[in-house]
Amino acid sequence: MDPATLVKAILLAPTLTILVFALVRIPWRARVPLGLVLGVGGAFGAAATLDAGLLSYLVSFSIMAGIYAVLCLGLNVQWGYTGHLNFGIAGFFALGAFTTALVTTSAPTGTLAQYSQQAFGLELPFLVGIAAGAVVAGVVAFLIAIPVLRLRMDFLAIATIGIAEIIRLVFQNERWLANGPQPLRGVPRPLYCTVQEPTCAWLPAPVAAWLAPLAPRDYIFIYLGIVTLILALVYLALERAVRSPWGRVLRATRDEETSTAMSGKNVPRVRIQSFVLGAAVMGLGGALYAHYTVTIDYSHFNPLFATFIVWVMLMLGGSGNNRGAILGAFIIWGVWSGTAFLTEALEPGLRAISETLPDRSAYLRWLLVALLLAAIVLYRPQGLLKEETIVSRHLLRRRGAAATTPGATATVGGAPPAATAPEAAGRDPGGG
Amino acid sequence: MPLLKVDGVTSGYGDMEVLRDVSLAVEAGEIVSIIGPNGAGKSTVMKVVFGQLRPWQGKVELDGRDISRLPPYEIVTLGMCYVPQVANIFTDLTVEENLELGAFALAGREVAERKARIYELFPRLKERARQEAGKMSGGERQMLAMGSALMLDPRLLLLDEPSAGLAPKMVDVIFERIIRVNQTGVAILMVEQNARESLKMAHRGYVMANGQNRVEGPGPALADDPDVARLYLGG
Amino acid sequence: MADLDPTGATGAATDATSPPLRERVRAALQSRTALVVIILAVLALLWWSAVARDVSAERLLSLTVWGVMLGGVIALGAIGLTLVYGVLKFPNFSHGAMVTLGAYLAFAFMAVLPQGPALRPFSFGWEFLAALVLAMPLVGVVALGLDRVVYRRLRRQNASLVLFAMASLAMAFFLRSLIYLIWGPDFYFYYDARANPVLDLPLNIRVQADQLFIVVLAFAIVGLVHLLLTRTRMGKAMRATANNPDLAQIRGINTERVIAWTWIMGGALAAAGGVMYGLSSQLRPEMGFWLLLPMFAAVIMGGVGNPRGALVGALIIGVTQQVATAFLNPAYGPAVAFALMVLTLLVRPQGLFGARGG
Repeated sequence: MDPATLVKAILLAPTLTILVFALVRIPWRARVPLGLVLGVGGAFGAAATLDAGLLSYLVSFSIMAGIYAVLCLGLNVQWGYTGHLNFGIAGFFALGAFTTALVTTSAPTGTLAQYSQQAFGLELPFLVGIAAGAVVAGVVAFLIAIPVLRLRMDFLAIATIGIAEIIRLVFQNERWLANGPQPLRGVPRPLYCTVQEPTCAWLPAPVAAWLAPLAPRDYIFIYLGIVTLILALVYLALERAVRSPWGRVLRATRDEETSTAMSGKNVPRVRIQSFVLGAAVMGLGGALYAHYTVTIDYSHFNPLFATFIVWVMLMLGGSGNNRGAILGAFIIWGVWSGTAFLTEALEPGLRAISETLPDRSAYLRWLLVALLLAAIVLYRPQGLLKEETIVSRHLLRRRGAAATTPGATATVGGAPPAATAPEAAGRDPGGG
Repeated sequence: MPLLKVDGVTSGYGDMEVLRDVSLAVEAGEIVSIIGPNGAGKSTVMKVVFGQLRPWQGKVELDGRDISRLPPYEIVTLGMCYVPQVANIFTDLTVEENLELGAFALAGREVAERKARIYELFPRLKERARQEAGKMSGGERQMLAMGSALMLDPRLLLLDEPSAGLAPKMVDVIFERIIRVNQTGVAILMVEQNARESLKMAHRGYVMANGQNRVEGPGPALADDPDVARLYLGG
Repeated sequence: MADLDPTGATGAATDATSPPLRERVRAALQSRTALVVIILAVLALLWWSAVARDVSAERLLSLTVWGVMLGGVIALGAIGLTLVYGVLKFPNFSHGAMVTLGAYLAFAFMAVLPQGPALRPFSFGWEFLAALVLAMPLVGVVALGLDRVVYRRLRRQNASLVLFAMASLAMAFFLRSLIYLIWGPDFYFYYDARANPVLDLPLNIRVQADQLFIVVLAFAIVGLVHLLLTRTRMGKAMRATANNPDLAQIRGINTERVIAWTWIMGGALAAAGGVMYGLSSQLRPEMGFWLLLPMFAAVIMGGVGNPRGALVGALIIGVTQQVATAFLNPAYGPAVAFALMVLTLLVRPQGLFGARGG
């Protein structure tokens, strides 16, 4: 095994281990060894056996899937746990991306300023940039939430489409803000110096020597680690949040708004909080995207790539289930990437239909994803992983002791029609 | 053979069983009243009879024909019409349009003739013919709902709580109209909260509780039955 | 589905005692009059800010007239959208894609029809009208087909509003990718480089005859829809189903048939809107998506399920969008429509012609 492969394998190992930790549901006593074995073994196995090009492809695939998983987690807070029908993910995605770009780049000067304009460039570090991305998306969500969250669910969906469209229009038309319709270039890559020659000044010599075999094109291995780490942190934070009393109020609000309000919870505030939290997570996802692609422009944040596909991911994975959200992101991004090979394979057939059809085969991929969402809605609206009905660890422990508590599981989505309410209300013979 | 026969019906919403093994019958031309406490499943019986809810077990027969799989819009053509308890008129349409839609299955001249007959029964509706139905009072709404249901000239009329939410004076008017409709030969199956009154005018009555029918008998006799009175009539 | 009833939002204020002052003020603010006043104020503000920027009165008048034309295009789409929304009770996000589909199908028909001379003063010939007439029912059938494959199944499963909305989003992307796949991302014109003479009307208003045609057609179609809804059996059944689907069934209306006709009408009207939009500018795969927000804004402003309201809303949106271009980048048109929509939702969610508020 040559030194570069070895370094890559070591960089991949933590990522795979975390993935196993997140997705396998067995007691930690067994999960830790299993995760270590599978993670480290898988990383070395993959690095040793796979061709370098394929390995890089898988890594860049995982980065995008990881970024989408962050978006999906954000949507899950809004939709899965609170029931906000947000069809405007693209807006918060774009806000996060452009904010971090403005915060971390330097404003162009001299002749460059004639070709590229931006409102400001603060040259601040990566972590400040992505935090700012999350904060700005959250603040905008808060401003929007006050008028819009009171609306009926269908109106909210229409309104959020509008908000995303307007955010996109602003980034498309306002040259002074973020270079208008032209791309904004040079978003810095965090820790990029580790793969450069000469390497970062602050890096201890042994680490620098160890990383030396990596070429700049191997930077994605570093960035995958960063994305995985952030994804894991977001996941843990959200899991904690939804299992907290706050999370229980959220779900109670979604299922029974009136009775939650009557039990003394401030329903509007909780609804706004979850909308803002979800939007901030989406902003974080957008920021991660900007630092990965380096060059961003308004067209990246179109309804298909930035809203629609995230919904497909969450619907497939399972609304109200954070593991499902991550799983859905990886599967759908896999399907999306896989369709590229499919259309390639279909090319002779397409050419037979029409000479110019293969040029448009990319749209065939959209078509397939659209059909996939329709199929999910029709045949498996609850997704692959159902919402977990018990979310408090406290309750889980008690329940384990009591073995069975019949009737405690709430049915989600299959609630009886409202007409039953008066009938079921008072079963005792009145009068007397 | 009875006009309507409900035979051992069990049904409910989703997984929740509301009715268990309910059986009842209505003969041609009679008034049958179903009473019982809240939540006894009275309205659910109506929904099953009218095809809005499928029976899990048992069946519903009209003139000996099994109608438990038919949609409501086909059932009306067989001579049975239904007035639900709430949302029983088209509030955005005029009174006249409401009546015309009552006879949606018919066409042409007959509609005008039937409309005239309903106006005769409920003169108030004629005065308001061009008015938006949603702007009428509770009693007028109930008249319109009954009028629309009578447009198809049914042999059996299902009434779900016809007196609910009406002023006492209006209740008397509505009950009096129900008797008049019955006198033209239309059988009536009604569910009523106003149990004593409705039993008095009924030929027969059923008492329901907890999704089952418990007692059955001639209306006035049930009204005087001490057990029924104690349990369900608030006596 | 009581929560879909527009009256539900404000209908709970029937206390026997007289409501406190705050409630009464709130009720007054949510009245139709208040909404009309606010809309007029927005329009006045737009005109005033245009005048303040030295936009000539003539230009403003022209912009207003063009706004009416744009309103006509929006109205054609919005009427279909509002019918479907009213009867089926969900926002059909694929309506924009049907608009686009109609425009492209007419384009395809024109390619095979023999080209005749232009019908002066219009820029188009008979083949254009024939293509319009052919495209309309075809898109109606497409809409019906989608219902059979997707939405009818959801109805049978008693699916929630969200799943319907989601499915329509999926269908929007499905139709859009189909359009891209067949026609590609290029722009097209119904007539390449054909003279489109400008008519000089009194008051120095300059409009194209085509634009007048669009407005007249829009009004004619709205009139026809109105007659259909008030005079025909199917029309009355549609209104009844929109008002109360359960009762419609009980009264002997086969609601599935009503729904089928609603889709056909909605699709056909969307196609007409698309063809008119294509005639007034050009054909692009995104054209329907660009119209989606203005259409929804018109529907909500007019009251969901109300075709007349959709027409009025569309005209208001069209005029506002055009007048705003006097001092705003025209690209922000959808943003203007959006602002009006949010304003409506905040003041009076049931819209101008929605059911009574109290």
